[in-house]
Amino acid sequence: MRGITKRFPGVLANDRVDFEAAVGEVHALLGENGAGKTTLSNILTGLYRPDEGQIELYGEPVRFHSPRDALDAGICMVHQHFRLVAPFTVAENVLLGDHRAEGRKLVLRPRAIERRVAELGERYGLDVDPRARIWQLSVGEQQRVEILKALYREARILVLDEPTAVLTPQEAAKLFETLRAMAAEGRTVVFISHKLHEVLAVSSRVTVLRGGRTVATLATADATPRSLAALMVGREVAEARRVERGGPPGDVALALEGVSVAGDRGGLAVRDVSLAVRAGEIVGVAGVAGNGQRELAEAVYGIRDLVAGVVRVEGKALRAGDPRSAIAAGVAHVPEDRLGTGLAPGLSIAANVALKRYRAAPVSSGPLLRLRRMRELAEALVRRYDVKAPGVDTPVRNLSGGNLQKLVLGREFDGEPRVLVAAQPTRGLDVGAIETVHGYLRAAAASGVAVLLLSEDLDEILTLADRVVVMYEGALVGEVDAGAASAEEIGLLMAGGRGR
Amino acid sequence: MRLERRLDQPRLLLVAVPVGSLAAAFVLMAFVLLATGHNPLATYRRMLDSAFVADGGLTSTFVFCTPLAFTGLAAAAAFRMQLYNIGGEGQFYLGAIAAVGVTLYLGDLGVESTPLHVVAMSAAGAAAGAAWAAIPAVLRAFAKTNEIITTLMLNYAAGLVLTYLIIDSKSYWRDLESFEGQTFPLGKSIPEAASWPGADLGLLGGVLLPLGFGGALALAGLMWFVYRQTRFGFELQVIGDSQRTARFAGMRLRRKILAVLCISGAIAGLGGASFEGDFAHQIDPTGLQSSFFGYTGIVVAALARYNPLAVMPVAFLLGGLQNAGFTLQGADFPSGLVGVMQGLILFSALGGEVLVRYRLRLGRAVARAGAPSEVAP
Amino acid sequence: MTGQLLASGVNDGFVVLVLASAVLYGTPLLFAALGELLAERSGVLNLGVEGMMLVGAVTGFWAVQRLAGAGVVSLAAALAVAAVAGALMALIHAFLAITLRANQIVSGLALTIFAGAAGLSSYLGNDLGLSGAPARHAFTPLDLFGLGGLPVLGPVLFAQSVLVYLSWACVLAVGLYLSRTRPGLNVRAVGEAPAAADAMGIGVTGYRYVHTIAGGALAGVGGACFSLQITPQWVDGLTGGAGWIAVALVIFAFWRAELCLVGAYLFGAFSALPLLLQARGWLTSVPSEVFTSLPYVMTIVVLVTVSSGAAKRRLGAPAALGTPYVREER
Repeated sequence: MRGITKRFPGVLANDRVDFEAAVGEVHALLGENGAGKTTLSNILTGLYRPDEGQIELYGEPVRFHSPRDALDAGICMVHQHFRLVAPFTVAENVLLGDHRAEGRKLVLRPRAIERRVAELGERYGLDVDPRARIWQLSVGEQQRVEILKALYREARILVLDEPTAVLTPQEAAKLFETLRAMAAEGRTVVFISHKLHEVLAVSSRVTVLRGGRTVATLATADATPRSLAALMVGREVAEARRVERGGPPGDVALALEGVSVAGDRGGLAVRDVSLAVRAGEIVGVAGVAGNGQRELAEAVYGIRDLVAGVVRVEGKALRAGDPRSAIAAGVAHVPEDRLGTGLAPGLSIAANVALKRYRAAPVSSGPLLRLRRMRELAEALVRRYDVKAPGVDTPVRNLSGGNLQKLVLGREFDGEPRVLVAAQPTRGLDVGAIETVHGYLRAAAASGVAVLLLSEDLDEILTLADRVVVMYEGALVGEVDAGAASAEEIGLLMAGGRGR
Repeated sequence: MRLERRLDQPRLLLVAVPVGSLAAAFVLMAFVLLATGHNPLATYRRMLDSAFVADGGLTSTFVFCTPLAFTGLAAAAAFRMQLYNIGGEGQFYLGAIAAVGVTLYLGDLGVESTPLHVVAMSAAGAAAGAAWAAIPAVLRAFAKTNEIITTLMLNYAAGLVLTYLIIDSKSYWRDLESFEGQTFPLGKSIPEAASWPGADLGLLGGVLLPLGFGGALALAGLMWFVYRQTRFGFELQVIGDSQRTARFAGMRLRRKILAVLCISGAIAGLGGASFEGDFAHQIDPTGLQSSFFGYTGIVVAALARYNPLAVMPVAFLLGGLQNAGFTLQGADFPSGLVGVMQGLILFSALGGEVLVRYRLRLGRAVARAGAPSEVAP
Repeated sequence: MTGQLLASGVNDGFVVLVLASAVLYGTPLLFAALGELLAERSGVLNLGVEGMMLVGAVTGFWAVQRLAGAGVVSLAAALAVAAVAGALMALIHAFLAITLRANQIVSGLALTIFAGAAGLSSYLGNDLGLSGAPARHAFTPLDLFGLGGLPVLGPVLFAQSVLVYLSWACVLAVGLYLSRTRPGLNVRAVGEAPAAADAMGIGVTGYRYVHTIAGGALAGVGGACFSLQITPQWVDGLTGGAGWIAVALVIFAFWRAELCLVGAYLFGAFSALPLLLQARGWLTSVPSEVFTSLPYVMTIVVLVTVSSGAAKRRLGAPAALGTPYVREER
């Protein structure tokens, strides 16, 4: 790929990017969130059309007008958010859109496909029941389906976008083996990640992107974590380290007693969870995505009903399923889905800042709003938390991810909470923004807030949390002291293995 | 052709799009007229003349635009919250029935104070509209039943209530005494004192501004104020933007859904009351059902982009259109013309909405860095 | 004894009559519901069914009145004309909803206003001078395999018109298409997860256009059932809300073709009941409006029972129903 340029309204996502991967290698594409990795891979797979530049495949220039062209050329992609049809079976998903000779037949023959999928799975160690429906599968299994799709189509080039985000360390190691086996067969694997140790573990060469441009391509053997990090961020970065905070934690501020929560698809998403968080303490909830963390956070904050159990804040039971009771008790929540849940995208910054305090003075007096006060409040918050925006009347939809998160965090902190439930607070942010957010969380704990941190990023939990609990299939399967725990140990728990 | 999301919405477009939509609809309609062998220019000239210029044209345009203002406000109130109340039609009928019932009863009691009649009719109309809307509202809030279909089905049911009261029974609403009423099913006329006063504008040889129009104008102002300046309005804005976020902020969604649908119904019902008090003075089942005030209200609201203040001028324009359609009905002015026209206006408005939200780019031409060029359709 | 027998004979006759008319009145609903089913399975909600049916009804009727030819030929041509007209109406919605990403609810409403009882269908009926006269040819019952004389089953199953048999063929075709064929699988994927379908090289826009338009064609045929069989003449707004009932039917049928058949006949029976009761002079003490409102009230009742369960599980509603698919946006 040469000189690839791609613009989005207001953003230059790729700026004359060059990228080259050889047959039979695992080539890592490294860069921070927002560096343009996903855009580049979407161009490679025909989803986006580049504004400038060209793609050559085995020496031949090609032009992809649609994903179908790329698929025909043997390029398959495993997206970060899986492209699977939830109510379909595994076999149907594998079959979908296949338009080679076999695929042109009008009538479906599910049996034959099921056999073929089972065969492929066996050969590559990708174990999954071809007749299962996608929504019944765990996230790790769903990823295997995505890879099976590529193998079924005999892809020569496989692109994986942040594939380990949903895996335990052990599962990730297994995935790396599969990828290396595929490369050894003469396929090309493009591995997109922002995690240095993964890139070092799996790839033979690395291309680093920064701010939409290619910074360097080098052999992995010549790279060190330090040199890669410097290339990726553009400055020397200190590795994120634990900062031990002094002072004993206070009284129990948040207590969950036997909490069970229903999932979206019926059944329990959270099973009988009991947990206590003391004032000034950060408790990390580790776990592979989809093991009930989101449901747990929503239940504590009251936007999801409890099936059983009780949530107490400073000893007082909250009314289940009523966020107003949680807000009144001083529970703040940074939701996983910032723009869809935490903010009203079409409304102004001012309205969004007032979202949780419009009921009382100074934002309202009686039934009337005081619009000037609302603006002043928003202006102050924007200044204090360094939210970059043209003005407080701007709809929040137009803010970048980092600024959205600052806005949500700022609003939640400003309510002077007793308890903060932060779900995936740094997902999708760049290094600078991550540091800021981590700083805020530490500051909150230091000021005596009980912080419940839910994150799929184990490193993040290990750097921030005082204690770590691990969630697996909706239940807490273990608790470790963050200072002493190793990633492997927690990884084992995340996979459902019992701790020592 | 490609669409790109706009980062800012130019204010000019917010006015230009509705105006452009109207213009586009007239152009499209011209093609329909030409295709069916009519002269568009002559048709338009006659429409304009009979709606706004001719003697009494404006007065009768107000007759059409007043109910449309109410049903438009009703639709705007609900649609803004993404509650698709298509039941304005039925709520309007019910409002008319209740208002006429109450005023007939007051007449029988011998009440002759016009203000009392007006107040009673308004209250009864609003209450009946709200009650009729409460059925889909409760179903939507508690059983998550799709309000589009329930409100629509209730329109047919409300139509049947009208037919029953005047044609198929000897109800309180039916005129059984007068000679005409004995030969042909008719609604009883409301007492003299119950007809709503109007204000003579003293323009163009006497244009009569009905009381209902003034009421609608005040209501539009009130709605605008509530949306902008009150806590309730703030909650509606958030819910209309994202229900998940509203729940996150601790807002009580069910109550708001109930409230908004009932308010929407009440406004439509009030429209029914005003229609009877200002103009009709008796229940006329066929007249009510062939005016399509409720459905046209949706067109009004959509063209006004659900902004209550904009509803008023839009209602005036579409009222003129409907007036012209009604006056001109005949061989060279086909009956469905008004509906076709309204459909085309809505289509154009929907298409125009795209221009507000997105930038339109034609071709695959590589745009160079710098300000992206904008292409008009 | 004799009197009792006679009475039971009359009752049997009434049941058969109800069943046979359920099929007659259910057929337009069935066509329209199948059409809406196709559109919704591809993720496009088209609330313009009522309008498309009316335009189908008026154009089909026009074709029978004005096109020369034997009865069979002219009726076949009329169906084709109605289908094309319905498809053209659907094309407007498809363009607005798919290409311009307009609000599908408002766009569908606009289509009903544009084409409906006070719109294009009335304009055409009026302008072409179609009202007043009965159809020159109409679909009449055939005696299939000579089995029309069988008790009960005969009149209900074997003495129906071509339209009824055609609707059965459509149920079978749509059902098999969606469950057993590859394009059917693709449509379902487009309606459930357009991003997944797109990534696998399935043209989301194309599939949505095709199925929305096919849905319009079926709605057009459904409308023609009224003007060429049930009425058979042209009256403004002769579908009387059947298009809206068809929309509700799709929900009632959990987006499955075979259940559309059951629902359509159920509602057909509700539509036929008032006329049948009136003809027999039964239950005259009850205002006829009570029976006439049955289909509308039942639609609400059925929707409520279905949706309170649906709140828990989505019961097969296509996940992407009503939402435009946009690839290049962030």
